[in-house]
Amino acid sequence: MKSSKVMIVEDEALVAMMVEDMLGDLGCEIAGSFGAVDDALAWLGSGDPTPDGAVLDVNIGGEMVFPVAEALREQGVPFVFATGYGDLPRKGFESIEVIAKPINVGALRKAVDGFQSGEEQDA
Amino acid sequence: MLNLASRDDVGQSDTDLMTLIETIEALSATRTISEVAEVVRKAARKVSGADGIAFVLRDQGQCWYFDEDAIGPLWKGKRFPLTACISGWAMLNRQTVIIPDIYKDDRIPHDAYRPTFVKGLVMTPVRMEDPVAAIGAYWAEEHVPAPEIVKKLQVIARATASALESGRLHDSLVDARHHGTFLLQELDHRVKNTLAIVQSISRQTLRASHSPEAFAEVFENRILALSQAHELLTRRAWGRAQLHDILDKALAPFSTDLTDRFDIVGPAVTFSAETSVSVHMTLHELAVNAAKHGALSTPEGRVVLRWTVDEAATPPMLTLAWREVDGPPVAGKPERRGFGVSMIERGLARDLGGKATLDFTPQGVVYTLRAPLSQRMSLAA
Repeated sequence: MKSSKVMIVEDEALVAMMVEDMLGDLGCEIAGSFGAVDDALAWLGSGDPTPDGAVLDVNIGGEMVFPVAEALREQGVPFVFATGYGDLPRKGFESIEVIAKPINVGALRKAVDGFQSGEEQDA
Repeated sequence: MLNLASRDDVGQSDTDLMTLIETIEALSATRTISEVAEVVRKAARKVSGADGIAFVLRDQGQCWYFDEDAIGPLWKGKRFPLTACISGWAMLNRQTVIIPDIYKDDRIPHDAYRPTFVKGLVMTPVRMEDPVAAIGAYWAEEHVPAPEIVKKLQVIARATASALESGRLHDSLVDARHHGTFLLQELDHRVKNTLAIVQSISRQTLRASHSPEAFAEVFENRILALSQAHELLTRRAWGRAQLHDILDKALAPFSTDLTDRFDIVGPAVTFSAETSVSVHMTLHELAVNAAKHGALSTPEGRVVLRWTVDEAATPPMLTLAWREVDGPPVAGKPERRGFGVSMIERGLARDLGGKATLDFTPQGVVYTLRAPLSQRMSLAA
Protein backbone atom coordinates (compact mmCIF):
# COMPACT_ATOMS: atom_id res chain seq x y z
CA MET A 1 0.00 0.00 0.00
CA LYS A 2 1.47 3.36 -0.94
CA SER A 3 1.88 5.80 1.93
CA SER A 4 -0.70 8.54 2.35
CA LYS A 5 0.32 12.19 2.26
CA VAL A 6 -1.49 13.82 5.14
CA MET A 7 -2.02 17.52 5.82
CA ILE A 8 -2.12 18.82 9.41
CA VAL A 9 -3.66 22.05 10.68
CA GLU A 10 -2.95 22.51 14.40
CA ASP A 11 -1.97 25.68 16.24
CA GLU A 12 -0.26 24.03 19.20
CA ALA A 13 3.25 23.23 18.01
CA LEU A 14 3.70 20.46 20.57
CA VAL A 15 0.48 18.75 19.56
CA ALA A 16 1.33 19.16 15.88
CA MET A 17 4.69 17.50 16.46
CA MET A 18 2.95 14.56 18.11
CA VAL A 19 0.41 14.17 15.31
CA GLU A 20 3.28 14.25 12.78
CA ASP A 21 5.10 11.64 14.85
CA MET A 22 2.02 9.41 15.11
CA LEU A 23 1.28 9.70 11.41
CA GLY A 24 4.90 8.79 10.69
CA ASP A 25 4.47 5.66 12.81
CA LEU A 26 1.37 4.82 10.79
CA GLY A 27 3.43 4.96 7.61
CA CYS A 28 2.17 8.33 6.39
CA GLU A 29 4.11 11.20 4.91
CA ILE A 30 3.44 14.73 6.11
CA ALA A 31 2.21 16.67 3.09
CA GLY A 32 2.15 19.93 5.03
CA SER A 33 1.77 21.04 8.64
CA PHE A 34 0.24 24.46 9.35
CA GLY A 35 -0.34 26.51 12.47
CA ALA A 36 -2.63 29.12 10.90
CA VAL A 37 -5.77 28.99 8.75
CA ASP A 38 -4.37 31.49 6.22
CA ASP A 39 -1.18 29.46 5.69
CA ALA A 40 -3.19 26.28 5.18
CA LEU A 41 -5.51 27.97 2.66
CA ALA A 42 -2.59 29.54 0.79
CA TRP A 43 -0.93 26.14 0.47
CA LEU A 44 -4.12 24.44 -0.71
CA GLY A 45 -4.60 27.18 -3.31
CA SER A 46 -1.00 27.09 -4.54
CA GLY A 47 -1.39 24.12 -6.89
CA ASP A 48 0.82 21.83 -4.82
CA PRO A 49 -0.09 18.17 -5.10
CA THR A 50 -3.32 17.60 -3.22
CA PRO A 51 -2.94 15.60 -0.01
CA ASP A 52 -4.62 12.22 0.43
CA GLY A 53 -6.22 13.32 3.68
CA ALA A 54 -6.10 15.91 6.46
CA VAL A 55 -6.27 16.13 10.25
CA LEU A 56 -7.74 19.46 11.34
CA ASP A 57 -7.81 21.05 14.77
CA VAL A 58 -10.99 23.12 14.99
CA ASN A 59 -9.98 26.24 16.91
CA ILE A 60 -6.79 27.61 15.35
CA GLY A 61 -5.60 30.41 17.60
CA GLY A 62 -9.16 31.71 17.96
CA GLU A 63 -9.98 31.18 14.28
CA MET A 64 -12.25 28.38 13.11
CA VAL A 65 -10.74 25.86 10.71
CA PHE A 66 -13.92 25.53 8.61
CA PRO A 67 -12.67 27.51 5.56
CA VAL A 68 -9.90 24.91 5.24
CA ALA A 69 -12.48 22.13 5.58
CA GLU A 70 -14.54 23.75 2.79
CA ALA A 71 -11.50 23.96 0.53
CA LEU A 72 -10.64 20.30 1.17
CA ARG A 73 -14.21 19.27 0.46
CA GLU A 74 -14.12 21.15 -2.85
CA GLN A 75 -10.91 19.34 -3.79
CA GLY A 76 -12.42 16.00 -2.76
CA VAL A 77 -9.83 15.45 -0.02
CA PRO A 78 -11.10 13.40 2.95
CA PHE A 79 -10.43 14.86 6.41
CA VAL A 80 -11.13 14.43 10.13
CA PHE A 81 -11.33 16.91 13.01
CA ALA A 82 -9.16 16.56 16.11
CA THR A 83 -10.40 18.69 18.97
CA GLY A 84 -10.70 19.02 22.73
CA TYR A 85 -14.19 20.47 22.38
CA GLY A 86 -16.53 17.60 23.17
CA ASP A 87 -19.62 18.63 21.26
CA LEU A 88 -18.63 21.59 19.16
CA PRO A 89 -21.37 22.58 16.70
CA ARG A 90 -20.15 21.82 13.20
CA LYS A 91 -22.94 22.95 10.94
CA GLY A 92 -22.54 21.37 7.52
CA PHE A 93 -19.90 18.97 8.83
CA GLU A 94 -22.08 16.73 10.97
CA SER A 95 -20.92 13.60 9.12
CA ILE A 96 -17.20 14.29 9.58
CA GLU A 97 -15.39 12.09 12.07
CA VAL A 98 -14.14 13.84 15.23
CA ILE A 99 -11.03 12.53 16.99
CA ALA A 100 -10.88 13.57 20.66
CA LYS A 101 -7.83 15.10 22.30
CA PRO A 102 -5.66 13.73 23.80
CA ILE A 103 -5.36 11.64 20.65
CA ASN A 104 -5.95 7.92 20.61
CA VAL A 105 -3.57 6.42 18.05
CA GLY A 106 -6.17 3.78 17.20
CA ALA A 107 -8.68 6.47 16.23
CA LEU A 108 -6.04 8.17 14.10
CA ARG A 109 -5.21 4.85 12.41
CA LYS A 110 -8.87 4.37 11.54
CA ALA A 111 -8.95 7.82 9.98
CA VAL A 112 -5.79 7.13 7.96
CA ASP A 113 -7.21 3.80 6.78
CA GLY A 114 -10.19 5.80 5.56
CA PHE A 115 -7.87 8.11 3.62
CA GLN A 116 -6.02 5.19 2.06
CA SER A 117 -9.13 3.38 0.94
CA GLY A 118 -10.07 6.59 -0.80
CA GLU A 119 -13.31 6.41 1.07
CA GLU A 120 -15.32 9.62 0.89
CA GLN A 121 -15.38 10.60 4.59
CA ASP A 122 -17.83 13.31 3.81
CA ALA A 123 -20.82 11.06 3.29
CA MET B 1 -80.25 38.96 63.32
CA LEU B 2 -77.22 40.02 65.20
CA ASN B 3 -75.89 36.47 65.29
CA LEU B 4 -76.59 36.00 61.65
CA ALA B 5 -74.84 39.27 60.81
CA SER B 6 -71.79 38.37 62.85
CA ARG B 7 -71.69 34.92 61.25
CA ASP B 8 -71.73 36.67 57.89
CA ASP B 9 -68.86 38.90 59.04
CA VAL B 10 -66.88 35.87 60.11
CA GLY B 11 -67.65 34.23 56.77
CA GLN B 12 -66.44 37.30 54.88
CA SER B 13 -63.23 37.68 56.88
CA ASP B 14 -62.55 33.95 56.44
CA THR B 15 -62.93 34.36 52.70
CA ASP B 16 -60.60 37.38 52.71
CA LEU B 17 -58.05 35.50 54.81
CA MET B 18 -58.15 32.59 52.38
CA THR B 19 -57.71 35.01 49.46
CA LEU B 20 -54.68 36.52 51.16
CA ILE B 21 -53.16 33.10 51.86
CA GLU B 22 -53.82 31.95 48.32
CA THR B 23 -52.30 35.18 47.03
CA ILE B 24 -49.15 34.68 49.07
CA GLU B 25 -48.90 31.08 47.85
CA ALA B 26 -49.48 32.14 44.25
CA LEU B 27 -46.88 34.90 44.55
CA SER B 28 -44.31 32.52 45.96
CA ALA B 29 -44.70 30.36 42.82
CA THR B 30 -44.11 33.26 40.40
CA ARG B 31 -40.91 33.47 38.38
CA THR B 32 -41.39 36.53 36.20
CA ILE B 33 -42.55 40.07 36.73
CA SER B 34 -45.57 39.44 34.47
CA GLU B 35 -46.65 36.50 36.61
CA VAL B 36 -46.32 38.65 39.73
CA ALA B 37 -48.43 41.41 38.14
CA GLU B 38 -51.08 38.91 37.10
CA VAL B 39 -51.50 37.62 40.66
CA VAL B 40 -51.32 41.06 42.28
CA ARG B 41 -53.88 42.86 40.13
CA LYS B 42 -56.52 40.14 40.57
CA ALA B 43 -55.95 39.56 44.29
CA ALA B 44 -55.81 43.26 45.15
CA ARG B 45 -59.04 43.91 43.31
CA LYS B 46 -60.74 41.00 45.07
CA VAL B 47 -59.73 41.90 48.64
CA SER B 48 -60.22 45.66 48.25
CA GLY B 49 -63.46 45.60 46.29
CA ALA B 50 -62.02 48.54 44.33
CA ASP B 51 -63.17 49.48 40.82
CA GLY B 52 -59.63 49.24 39.52
CA ILE B 53 -56.10 48.13 40.44
CA ALA B 54 -52.82 49.29 38.92
CA PHE B 55 -49.47 47.56 39.43
CA VAL B 56 -46.71 50.13 39.07
CA LEU B 57 -42.97 49.41 38.78
CA ARG B 58 -40.25 51.84 39.71
CA ASP B 59 -37.96 52.05 36.69
CA GLN B 60 -35.09 54.36 37.59
CA GLY B 61 -36.67 57.85 37.75
CA GLN B 62 -40.03 56.76 36.40
CA CYS B 63 -43.25 55.09 37.42
CA TRP B 64 -44.10 52.41 34.91
CA TYR B 65 -47.80 51.47 34.92
CA PHE B 66 -47.06 47.83 34.22
CA ASP B 67 -50.42 46.14 34.54
CA GLU B 68 -54.02 46.87 35.59
CA ASP B 69 -57.39 45.31 36.34
CA ALA B 70 -60.21 47.88 36.21
CA ILE B 71 -63.71 48.76 35.03
CA GLY B 72 -62.20 51.23 32.54
CA PRO B 73 -58.74 51.91 31.11
CA LEU B 74 -56.14 53.44 33.41
CA TRP B 75 -52.53 54.00 32.31
CA LYS B 76 -51.23 50.54 31.44
CA GLY B 77 -47.90 50.71 29.58
CA LYS B 78 -47.39 54.42 30.32
CA ARG B 79 -44.49 55.95 32.20
CA PHE B 80 -44.47 59.13 34.27
CA PRO B 81 -41.72 60.83 36.26
CA LEU B 82 -41.66 59.69 39.90
CA THR B 83 -42.24 63.29 40.91
CA ALA B 84 -45.31 63.70 38.71
CA CYS B 85 -47.65 60.96 39.91
CA ILE B 86 -49.06 59.67 43.14
CA SER B 87 -47.40 56.22 42.87
CA GLY B 88 -44.11 58.08 42.68
CA TRP B 89 -45.04 60.13 45.72
CA ALA B 90 -45.88 56.94 47.69
CA MET B 91 -42.59 55.27 46.68
CA LEU B 92 -40.45 58.35 47.35
CA ASN B 93 -42.15 58.99 50.72
CA ARG B 94 -42.27 55.28 51.64
CA GLN B 95 -45.83 55.46 52.84
CA THR B 96 -49.32 54.40 51.91
CA VAL B 97 -51.43 57.30 50.74
CA ILE B 98 -55.24 57.50 50.92
CA ILE B 99 -57.01 60.13 48.79
CA PRO B 100 -60.83 60.12 49.06
CA ASP B 101 -61.25 62.76 46.31
CA ILE B 102 -58.36 63.20 43.92
CA TYR B 103 -59.64 66.52 42.60
CA LYS B 104 -59.18 68.03 46.05
CA ASP B 105 -55.53 66.89 46.31
CA ASP B 106 -52.65 68.89 44.77
CA ARG B 107 -50.33 65.88 44.57
CA ILE B 108 -52.51 64.42 41.82
CA PRO B 109 -51.83 65.37 38.16
CA HIS B 110 -55.52 66.02 37.45
CA ASP B 111 -55.17 66.09 33.66
CA ALA B 112 -53.92 62.51 33.64
CA TYR B 113 -56.96 61.40 35.65
CA ARG B 114 -59.67 63.24 33.76
CA PRO B 115 -60.00 60.60 30.98
CA THR B 116 -60.37 57.86 33.63
CA PHE B 117 -63.17 56.83 35.97
CA VAL B 118 -61.07 57.46 39.06
CA LYS B 119 -62.33 59.61 41.94
CA GLY B 120 -60.78 58.10 45.06
CA LEU B 121 -57.65 55.97 45.60
CA VAL B 122 -55.24 54.16 47.88
CA MET B 123 -51.61 53.76 46.83
CA THR B 124 -49.24 51.52 48.78
CA PRO B 125 -45.54 50.96 48.07
CA VAL B 126 -44.01 47.51 47.62
CA ARG B 127 -41.00 46.98 49.90
CA MET B 128 -41.51 49.82 52.28
CA GLU B 129 -37.84 50.39 53.21
CA ASP B 130 -36.76 50.86 49.59
CA PRO B 131 -39.80 50.76 47.30
CA VAL B 132 -39.46 49.00 43.95
CA ALA B 133 -43.14 49.05 42.97
CA ALA B 134 -46.56 50.24 44.12
CA ILE B 135 -50.09 48.92 44.13
CA GLY B 136 -52.89 51.40 43.45
CA ALA B 137 -56.60 50.76 44.21
CA TYR B 138 -59.11 53.12 42.58
CA TRP B 139 -62.78 53.88 43.15
CA ALA B 140 -65.20 55.62 40.80
CA GLU B 141 -66.83 57.47 43.70
CA GLU B 142 -65.35 59.53 46.50
CA HIS B 143 -64.26 56.82 48.91
CA VAL B 144 -62.56 56.32 52.26
CA PRO B 145 -61.52 52.68 52.44
CA ALA B 146 -61.90 50.83 55.74
CA PRO B 147 -58.61 50.46 57.66
CA GLU B 148 -58.66 46.65 57.26
CA ILE B 149 -58.90 47.03 53.47
CA VAL B 150 -55.78 49.22 53.51
CA LYS B 151 -54.10 46.67 55.77
CA LYS B 152 -54.92 43.84 53.34
CA LEU B 153 -53.49 45.81 50.42
CA GLN B 154 -50.34 46.31 52.47
CA VAL B 155 -50.15 42.56 53.15
CA ILE B 156 -50.33 41.92 49.40
CA ALA B 157 -47.63 44.56 48.88
CA ARG B 158 -45.35 42.80 51.37
CA ALA B 159 -45.92 39.41 49.73
CA THR B 160 -45.21 41.07 46.37
CA ALA B 161 -41.93 42.44 47.68
CA SER B 162 -40.72 38.98 48.66
CA ALA B 163 -41.94 37.52 45.35
CA LEU B 164 -39.94 40.13 43.44
CA GLU B 165 -36.89 39.36 45.57
CA SER B 166 -37.12 35.61 45.04
CA GLY B 167 -37.75 36.16 41.32
CA ARG B 168 -34.56 38.19 41.16
CA LEU B 169 -32.75 35.54 43.19
CA HIS B 170 -34.06 32.88 40.81
CA ASP B 171 -32.86 34.89 37.80
CA SER B 172 -29.42 35.36 39.30
CA LEU B 173 -29.22 31.66 40.17
CA VAL B 174 -30.11 30.71 36.59
CA ASP B 175 -27.49 33.16 35.31
CA ALA B 176 -24.88 31.78 37.68
CA ARG B 177 -25.67 28.24 36.63
CA HIS B 178 -25.30 29.09 32.93
CA HIS B 179 -22.05 30.88 33.65
CA GLY B 180 -20.83 27.91 35.69
CA THR B 181 -21.66 25.50 32.87
CA PHE B 182 -19.80 27.68 30.38
CA LEU B 183 -16.75 27.83 32.63
CA LEU B 184 -16.80 24.06 33.06
CA GLN B 185 -16.90 23.52 29.29
CA GLU B 186 -14.03 25.94 28.80
CA LEU B 187 -12.09 24.22 31.57
CA ASP B 188 -12.76 20.84 29.95
CA HIS B 189 -11.39 22.13 26.65
CA ARG B 190 -8.25 23.58 28.22
CA VAL B 191 -7.57 20.50 30.31
CA LYS B 192 -7.89 18.27 27.23
CA ASN B 193 -5.61 20.52 25.21
CA THR B 194 -3.06 20.54 28.00
CA LEU B 195 -3.30 16.76 28.31
CA ALA B 196 -2.65 16.53 24.56
CA ILE B 197 0.51 18.60 25.13
CA VAL B 198 1.53 16.28 27.99
CA GLN B 199 0.82 13.32 25.72
CA SER B 200 3.08 14.85 23.08
CA ILE B 201 5.87 15.52 25.56
CA SER B 202 5.71 12.03 27.07
CA ARG B 203 5.63 10.29 23.70
CA GLN B 204 8.54 12.22 22.26
CA THR B 205 10.59 12.16 25.43
CA LEU B 206 10.19 8.40 25.59
CA ARG B 207 11.39 8.08 22.01
CA ALA B 208 14.69 9.80 22.86
CA SER B 209 15.30 8.10 26.24
CA HIS B 210 17.72 5.20 26.75
CA SER B 211 16.41 4.24 30.19
CA PRO B 212 13.41 4.74 32.44
CA GLU B 213 15.59 6.93 34.71
CA ALA B 214 16.62 9.16 31.83
CA PHE B 215 13.01 9.41 30.74
CA ALA B 216 11.81 10.32 34.23
CA GLU B 217 14.29 13.13 34.67
CA VAL B 218 13.72 14.82 31.33
CA PHE B 219 9.97 14.25 31.36
CA GLU B 220 9.52 15.65 34.85
CA ASN B 221 11.53 18.76 34.01
CA ARG B 222 9.41 19.33 30.94
CA ILE B 223 6.19 18.89 32.91
CA LEU B 224 7.48 21.34 35.52
CA ALA B 225 8.24 23.86 32.78
CA LEU B 226 4.74 23.38 31.36
CA SER B 227 3.29 23.83 34.83
CA GLN B 228 5.17 27.10 35.28
CA ALA B 229 3.98 28.31 31.89
CA HIS B 230 0.43 27.68 33.08
CA GLU B 231 1.03 29.43 36.36
CA LEU B 232 1.91 32.55 34.41
CA LEU B 233 -1.24 32.19 32.32
CA THR B 234 -3.47 31.72 35.34
CA ARG B 235 -1.97 34.78 37.00
CA ARG B 236 -2.90 36.78 33.90
CA ALA B 237 -6.42 35.25 33.73
CA TRP B 238 -5.38 33.42 30.54
CA GLY B 239 -4.52 36.76 28.97
CA ARG B 240 -1.30 37.90 27.31
CA ALA B 241 2.09 37.25 28.87
CA GLN B 242 5.19 39.48 28.71
CA LEU B 243 8.36 38.00 27.25
CA HIS B 244 10.33 39.35 30.22
CA ASP B 245 8.02 37.54 32.65
CA ILE B 246 8.25 34.29 30.66
CA LEU B 247 12.05 34.56 30.67
CA ASP B 248 12.11 35.10 34.43
CA LYS B 249 10.04 31.96 35.01
CA ALA B 250 11.52 29.70 32.33
CA LEU B 251 15.17 30.48 33.15
CA ALA B 252 14.85 30.61 36.95
CA PRO B 253 15.68 26.88 37.41
CA PHE B 254 19.02 27.41 35.60
CA SER B 255 20.49 30.25 37.62
CA THR B 256 20.07 31.53 41.16
CA ASP B 257 20.78 35.03 39.93
CA LEU B 258 19.45 35.57 36.44
CA THR B 259 21.63 38.60 35.64
CA ASP B 260 24.68 36.50 36.53
CA ARG B 261 24.26 34.07 33.63
CA PHE B 262 21.87 35.84 31.30
CA ASP B 263 22.32 39.16 29.53
CA ILE B 264 18.83 40.10 28.38
CA VAL B 265 17.92 43.20 26.36
CA GLY B 266 14.80 43.78 24.28
CA PRO B 267 11.61 45.83 24.07
CA ALA B 268 8.44 44.73 25.88
CA VAL B 269 6.76 42.07 23.73
CA THR B 270 3.61 40.14 24.68
CA PHE B 271 2.31 36.75 23.54
CA SER B 272 -1.17 35.28 23.40
CA ALA B 273 -1.89 32.66 26.06
CA GLU B 274 -1.37 29.65 23.76
CA THR B 275 1.79 31.00 22.14
CA SER B 276 3.32 31.90 25.49
CA VAL B 277 3.31 28.17 26.35
CA SER B 278 5.42 27.49 23.23
CA VAL B 279 7.74 30.39 24.10
CA HIS B 280 8.19 28.99 27.58
CA MET B 281 8.85 25.45 26.36
CA THR B 282 11.30 26.63 23.69
CA LEU B 283 13.26 28.67 26.25
CA HIS B 284 13.21 25.67 28.57
CA GLU B 285 14.71 23.40 25.89
CA LEU B 286 17.38 25.98 24.97
CA ALA B 287 18.34 26.32 28.64
CA VAL B 288 18.37 22.54 29.19
CA ASN B 289 20.72 22.09 26.23
CA ALA B 290 22.92 24.93 27.46
CA ALA B 291 23.04 23.41 30.96
CA LYS B 292 23.88 19.97 29.61
CA HIS B 293 26.36 20.68 26.83
CA GLY B 294 26.59 24.45 26.34
CA ALA B 295 27.44 27.70 28.05
CA LEU B 296 25.54 26.94 31.27
CA SER B 297 27.56 23.75 31.79
CA THR B 298 30.62 25.75 32.91
CA PRO B 299 30.92 28.49 35.58
CA GLU B 300 32.07 31.09 33.04
CA GLY B 301 29.52 30.57 30.30
CA ARG B 302 26.72 33.02 29.72
CA VAL B 303 23.79 33.52 27.41
CA VAL B 304 23.28 36.79 25.55
CA LEU B 305 19.65 37.27 24.62
CA ARG B 306 18.74 40.14 22.29
CA TRP B 307 15.63 40.98 20.38
CA THR B 308 14.48 43.89 18.28
CA VAL B 309 11.36 44.73 16.33
CA ASP B 310 11.65 46.28 12.88
CA GLU B 311 8.55 48.43 12.85
CA ALA B 312 9.26 49.78 9.35
CA ALA B 313 8.67 46.32 7.86
CA THR B 314 5.17 45.21 6.80
CA PRO B 315 4.19 43.42 8.90
CA PRO B 316 6.69 44.49 11.62
CA MET B 317 9.29 41.76 12.18
CA LEU B 318 10.83 40.49 15.36
CA THR B 319 14.36 39.18 15.35
CA LEU B 320 15.47 37.34 18.48
CA ALA B 321 18.84 35.80 19.11
CA TRP B 322 19.98 33.47 21.90
CA ARG B 323 23.77 33.41 21.77
CA GLU B 324 25.84 31.29 24.12
CA VAL B 325 29.27 32.74 24.98
CA ASP B 326 32.30 31.77 27.06
CA GLY B 327 31.15 28.17 27.22
CA PRO B 328 32.98 25.01 26.25
CA PRO B 329 33.92 24.64 22.58
CA VAL B 330 31.09 23.17 20.54
CA ALA B 331 31.92 20.06 18.52
CA GLY B 332 29.12 20.53 16.03
CA LYS B 333 25.53 19.58 15.45
CA PRO B 334 24.43 16.58 17.52
CA GLU B 335 23.82 13.49 15.42
CA ARG B 336 20.43 12.68 16.84
CA ARG B 337 17.78 15.33 16.42
CA GLY B 338 15.76 14.90 19.60
CA PHE B 339 12.49 16.36 20.65
CA GLY B 340 14.21 19.33 22.33
CA VAL B 341 15.94 20.37 19.14
CA SER B 342 12.77 19.85 17.11
CA MET B 343 10.86 22.02 19.55
CA ILE B 344 13.53 24.73 19.35
CA GLU B 345 13.77 24.68 15.57
CA ARG B 346 10.11 24.27 14.73
CA GLY B 347 7.79 24.89 17.66
CA LEU B 348 7.79 28.60 18.15
CA ALA B 349 8.54 29.46 14.53
CA ARG B 350 5.54 27.42 13.51
CA ASP B 351 3.28 29.11 16.06
CA LEU B 352 4.35 32.54 14.89
CA GLY B 353 4.57 31.87 11.17
CA GLY B 354 8.29 32.66 11.17
CA LYS B 355 11.64 30.92 10.78
CA ALA B 356 14.07 29.69 13.40
CA THR B 357 17.59 28.37 13.08
CA LEU B 358 19.80 26.59 15.55
CA ASP B 359 23.53 26.88 14.74
CA PHE B 360 26.26 24.98 16.56
CA THR B 361 29.12 27.43 16.01
CA PRO B 362 32.49 26.64 17.64
CA GLN B 363 32.00 29.62 20.02
CA GLY B 364 28.63 28.37 21.17
CA VAL B 365 25.07 27.65 20.19
CA VAL B 366 23.16 30.41 18.42
CA TYR B 367 19.38 30.30 18.13
CA THR B 368 17.76 32.89 15.87
CA LEU B 369 14.06 33.50 15.42
CA ARG B 370 12.55 35.80 12.83
CA ALA B 371 8.77 36.16 12.90
CA PRO B 372 6.17 38.77 11.99
CA LEU B 373 4.18 40.54 14.69
CA SER B 374 0.57 39.34 14.83
CA GLN B 375 -2.23 38.78 17.29
CA ARG B 376 -0.05 36.02 18.76
CA MET B 377 2.96 38.27 19.31
CA SER B 378 2.83 42.04 19.62
CA LEU B 379 4.71 44.99 21.08
CA ALA B 380 3.35 45.88 24.51
CA ALA B 381 1.29 49.07 24.45
